[in-house]
Amino acid sequence: MPAKTSPGQPAYKLIGQNYATPDLVAKVTGRAKYAEDYRAEGMLFAKLLLSPMPHAHVRNIDASEALAMPGVKAILTVDDLPAPADAMTDLGQVIPANKLAERGLTNDPVYQGEPILAVCAVDEYTCAEAIERIRIDYERLPHAVDPLVTLRPGTANARVEGNVWVRPVAAAPGPGQPPPPPPAPAVQELKWTDADFAEAKDGQLPMGKATDEWTYGDWQAGLKNADLVLDETFVTPNTSHQTLETRTAMAYWQNGKVFVHCSTQSTSQTVPALARWLHMDASDVVVISEYTGGGFGSKITSSIQAIIPALLSKKTGAPVMMRVSREEEHYIGKARPSIHGRLKVGFTKDGRITAVDMFVICDSGPYDPQGDANQAGRQLSLMYQPPAMRWRGLSVLTNTPPRVSQSQPGGFQGIVLMEPILSKASRKLGIDQVAIHRINAPEGKALIGPAVGGKRQYVTSAFIKEALDKGHAAFRWDERKAQPKRSGTKARGIGVATSCFVGGSVGFDGLFIIKPDGRLYIQSGIGNLGTESVSDCHRVTAEVLGVPWDKCEITWGHTGRNLPWTCPSGGSQTTHAMTRAAYVAAMDAKDKLQQIAAKDLGGKPEDYDVGGERVFHKGGGASMSLAQAAKRAVELGGIYDGHELPKGINKFTVASANALSGQGLLAVARDTMPRDGLTHSYVAGFAEVEVDLETGKYQILDYLAVADVGTVIHPRALGGQILGRSMLGIGHAIGQKWVYDQHYGLPLAKRFHHLKPPTILDAPEKMAWDAVGIPDPETPIGARGIGEPPVGAGCMAILNALSDALGDDVFRRAPVLADTILASLEAGRPMEEGLTAHI
Amino acid sequence: MGLVEFATSPWGQSVPIHISFFLMWVAAIGGLAFLIVHAIWVQFIARKEAPAEAVSPEVAAKVPEKVARHSLASRLFHWIMAAAMFALLITAFLPKLGYQFPWVTYHWIAGLVLTASIVFHIFHASFWLDFWAIWPDSIDLEDAKRRWLRATGKTAAAPRKFAKYPMENKMYHAVIVLAGLSVTVTGLFMMKRVRTPFFTRNPYVFGDMTWGLMYVLHGLAGVGLIALIMAHIYFALRPEKFAITKSMVFGSISREHYLEHHDPERWAATK
Amino acid sequence: MAIVRDIMPAFELFQPATVDDALRLLAQHGADAWVLAGGLDSFDWLKDRIKRPKVVIDLSQVAELRGVREVGGGLEIGAMTTLTEVVRHPVVKAKFSILSTGAESAASPQIRNQGTLGGNVSQDARCWYYRGGWKCYRAGGNICFADTPTAINREHAILGADRCVAVNPSDSAPALIALEAQMVIRNTQGERVVNAEDYFIGPAIDIMRMTVLKPGDLLTAIRIPATWAGAQFYFEKVRDRAVWDFPLLNVASAMVVTGGNIERIRIAVNAAAARPLRLTAVEDAVRGKPRNASTGEMGGKLAVAGAEPLRYNGYKIPLMRNLVKRAISGVEEAKWA
Repeated sequence: MPAKTSPGQPAYKLIGQNYATPDLVAKVTGRAKYAEDYRAEGMLFAKLLLSPMPHAHVRNIDASEALAMPGVKAILTVDDLPAPADAMTDLGQVIPANKLAERGLTNDPVYQGEPILAVCAVDEYTCAEAIERIRIDYERLPHAVDPLVTLRPGTANARVEGNVWVRPVAAAPGPGQPPPPPPAPAVQELKWTDADFAEAKDGQLPMGKATDEWTYGDWQAGLKNADLVLDETFVTPNTSHQTLETRTAMAYWQNGKVFVHCSTQSTSQTVPALARWLHMDASDVVVISEYTGGGFGSKITSSIQAIIPALLSKKTGAPVMMRVSREEEHYIGKARPSIHGRLKVGFTKDGRITAVDMFVICDSGPYDPQGDANQAGRQLSLMYQPPAMRWRGLSVLTNTPPRVSQSQPGGFQGIVLMEPILSKASRKLGIDQVAIHRINAPEGKALIGPAVGGKRQYVTSAFIKEALDKGHAAFRWDERKAQPKRSGTKARGIGVATSCFVGGSVGFDGLFIIKPDGRLYIQSGIGNLGTESVSDCHRVTAEVLGVPWDKCEITWGHTGRNLPWTCPSGGSQTTHAMTRAAYVAAMDAKDKLQQIAAKDLGGKPEDYDVGGERVFHKGGGASMSLAQAAKRAVELGGIYDGHELPKGINKFTVASANALSGQGLLAVARDTMPRDGLTHSYVAGFAEVEVDLETGKYQILDYLAVADVGTVIHPRALGGQILGRSMLGIGHAIGQKWVYDQHYGLPLAKRFHHLKPPTILDAPEKMAWDAVGIPDPETPIGARGIGEPPVGAGCMAILNALSDALGDDVFRRAPVLADTILASLEAGRPMEEGLTAHI
Repeated sequence: MGLVEFATSPWGQSVPIHISFFLMWVAAIGGLAFLIVHAIWVQFIARKEAPAEAVSPEVAAKVPEKVARHSLASRLFHWIMAAAMFALLITAFLPKLGYQFPWVTYHWIAGLVLTASIVFHIFHASFWLDFWAIWPDSIDLEDAKRRWLRATGKTAAAPRKFAKYPMENKMYHAVIVLAGLSVTVTGLFMMKRVRTPFFTRNPYVFGDMTWGLMYVLHGLAGVGLIALIMAHIYFALRPEKFAITKSMVFGSISREHYLEHHDPERWAATK
Repeated sequence: MAIVRDIMPAFELFQPATVDDALRLLAQHGADAWVLAGGLDSFDWLKDRIKRPKVVIDLSQVAELRGVREVGGGLEIGAMTTLTEVVRHPVVKAKFSILSTGAESAASPQIRNQGTLGGNVSQDARCWYYRGGWKCYRAGGNICFADTPTAINREHAILGADRCVAVNPSDSAPALIALEAQMVIRNTQGERVVNAEDYFIGPAIDIMRMTVLKPGDLLTAIRIPATWAGAQFYFEKVRDRAVWDFPLLNVASAMVVTGGNIERIRIAVNAAAARPLRLTAVEDAVRGKPRNASTGEMGGKLAVAGAEPLRYNGYKIPLMRNLVKRAISGVEEAKWA
């Protein structure tokens, strides 16, 4: 689908056009190498021994029998790992290590499935037999897997330290000093009272003491003066990331450098992460990841278990491959935290929200307070623009696998909590679903979140109203609405949902060379996690310089190949951040080309322009080919060929640029362009479902997502992201969730066929996407990120369509499966347990 | 092959789950071996007991022709318990031998009958019968020593007549109390593990290790009962004990039997 | 001994070429032997190192166990015939289409290419406690983890529970029962033929086995008589996703309707109990009645009489009721503009 551009947007040659990405053939022919595909001479294999208990202390490990086996080379325990390291900010401030964080191996497992040790042997069969011969003496400790249960008085805590995360208040900065980095979060015990629990009736979330709170506006007055107040409770599922490629890693050492083949979302950024985990200098760490089979937020800088083969390799003196199985991936591969949420929302009779009072409990797992609880409130405040809001939340610890951001972390849950309320309000107030979304939608420099430094923040732009209008027409909303809802044993319904998330960061570096052969050699530090931004962003460079794409070569995926400092590929920031970086680097090249032309051909640099693979005099006449200019750059040296570098670029880029100097015209720059506001992107999702009232089964007949992501860089890739991430959201609606046996604190769903990620046959029969295409005004190319906003839209368009078909009070949590629907229809009221975790 | 089978609990710990069922055969064969050895010993090896001294005619005259030994209540209890016990053994062990049928419900119904009868018996024996009659006393111990000495060819005073129950009877009862209470109490707890009309199924009233030990005890007591019942039936059919057996059906023993074996001072004869 | 999963353990592998060889091996190794058909059930157990047979007898080379043969108006299907072959066979589709539909609803296309009809019908329960290696009754232990106050049992049984509440997950089984199929079982002692509905065992009788197969037995073929050829069939499987998943419930019926009345009918459901249930009481109640919604509703209600829900599977009662109704009187189709 061709990109839609708005009037006034320049006509691009490359931007907005589809093209064959440089990784396509390798992927389709199977030549693409993922971490698991690498082999090295003498390579050993490692396998993990996992904790059988949800919470325990290892008293003794007897591995003597295992180590005596021929073929077993070493074991690795937590005692072999470097202690958690402090980090350093760019300002030289020390961020103290979180001593409660995940380390990769442990003697104090805090979830069933946590790796205790790794065995290294000549093959995996030997590893398995060795593991079976290891005897571990555990002291079992009490466990907690349900975040609400652990808040009850007299119940167990997930960790010895307690059951909730708290943020100690940072010391006030000295006069003239920058604010200190926040102190490490701490774990404490917090129990609510029986009265707190007794107060909540019939599926409502009890609301005891919260650990965190923010407000803006007079939310109490907002609720008091509303024409309609809805008080609703909803629970979102824990969903594993379930990347198709597990986080297998292979590592070896050469001359003091460690080479790690891993599965990661970000190439450049994985280097400092591994360096920190291994207590090494970043210059001694090389990351190789040219292809990654999905991350979704769980591999932003690979994952800490990648140090296990690295350390085993050091111990044994041989390369070590640690293949991670699907079940192991369930344990160490992270998940989205579930949120129990209760919202009181006030509406005017026209459907405009007057105030929101939000209370959320986030199941944070055993490590790391998750930002989801806070982000849920923050994104809600943007998406629905409540004039006044109170947010209260807790991050509760449980003995379940660790959580981490998953595509639209927190934002997704906020949307899921709010959308059923909008949907219900539309029915109660007699207002069309699209209209009630539109009246509450953000536009322009819309406000987000509570005040920071005395003032509320705002976004760079929002064109979600345009997206709603576009979708309303394309989906033939009014026509579908006019259809009957029931026929035979079937019921049909339509739903719409809006969703938003952060969509761009700033401040990263671009780097490429124009070589004397006239071709552009672009260095991409972006991860190739399937989004295609690894090459899409660099189309900007070719566009600005007027160079055909077949004259561009991209180097990516191997930090030994001189890549620039790049943003992490998480939080949908890459397209925005790296089109800006590509732009400034291209402008740096243009600047140097103009200077070289002026030097050689006379006149001033501003007399020249760049295009058609030449730098030419604007008035006509003198020109040089890029190839010639590149040759001249080498002869001139200095700033032209990278021997002199600008100030302000990251030291990672400096090292890469130094290595590339003297090869041609070297373009390097840091994005220091201004930006007014925080970049966010938006998606409106539309769906029609059909439910069989006798079985509870439902089909998604049609789905349309319309995205506001600013300028469209690569339509096909955008479509892949919009529909792919819509499917991620749809998975949360139609079936994906964790299931636990609470008595033992053990997972029952550990593999695909129990966790039920959606398959291609579960995708809606008809699926389409479109984009508004209006450039974001705060970034030169106008492009924002996309990965995350579709998730909430996908999930809630479906669930809103379901409640349109079935009425309210059929389901009170996601996902919604046939049993929930049928049981509710049979009883005339919701039958599922609203608040029990992991069912 | 161990006596107990272990399994890995959901938390990865090794816990016992039940006895190894070859112990059924050990009990059956052991019981059979005991019967054979005993029969042979009694028939060919044991020395005949010298007749005890006769009782004085006055005392004898007071003894009715039929001496009441077991009341109707006692007899009903015994046979109901016996029926329950058989049902329990059959439902427990036939499936293990490969005869498949739905046994669980019958097993716990029979178990409840057994429990009820035992409870009845405890009350009945405590308040209506002579509670102490079944427990070994100092005279029993002394006489047992005398019998042992004489059986092994040493000299000792003549053992006296017993009261109502001979020592072997009392010892057997003590063992069966242990086995019976073990199997019944564990069995009652086990009813929480299955669906019954009485309470909600909840296996988690105890932990895995506790349950494992309970099942092992239940099993040991159960196979022990195979041997014990075999012994019991054997002795009941032995010619010298048959009169006692008949008294468990009809309620009384003859005056002759009473005078020959029992001490009137210690067990008064009644009709 | 620590637990590790997903690595195939060592065993001795035999790949006989004939049924006789296979039977000899089975007789020789008895309970130490594991029969491997398509592997879709076996590999889960073996790779998780939960079942550790000394010997695996792989039937993939036994050609005589494959193929669909027409026999006297009916069919004889070799036990090793893949589900895909069964689904696509022209005579199955023409005369016994319920088997095609039922088999096609199993798993996924890739699994059906490798999974066999014999394997599908003989497969083990999928209770996630049992499959997770928890030592329950079915695994030789003395507890059921799925029937406890906190257990997650949304996919478990509503009928026929006797300590174990797992269900039989086969999709071909109820279709075969509806077709009055028979299972041909051989061992070194000879051959016996068992009616499909009697092929399965409930936990009350044997809590550790799903079928009557004992060590040494081999299911060699499944015979379908001509009795229900061309009858009116109904098959429906309700599952969570559109592929892969085992049934939450399925239903199969074969029916001959004359003059609007049900002349004869066979109905079976699966995933309601540990064995597929032939609903003889329902068959008796609807035989001779007009084939209409009221008869269907009556049959549906009768079908679920005595059903006992667990904490999370109460929905299976209306689901079974409605599916049986549909199996008798069909689905009221939606007519959208």
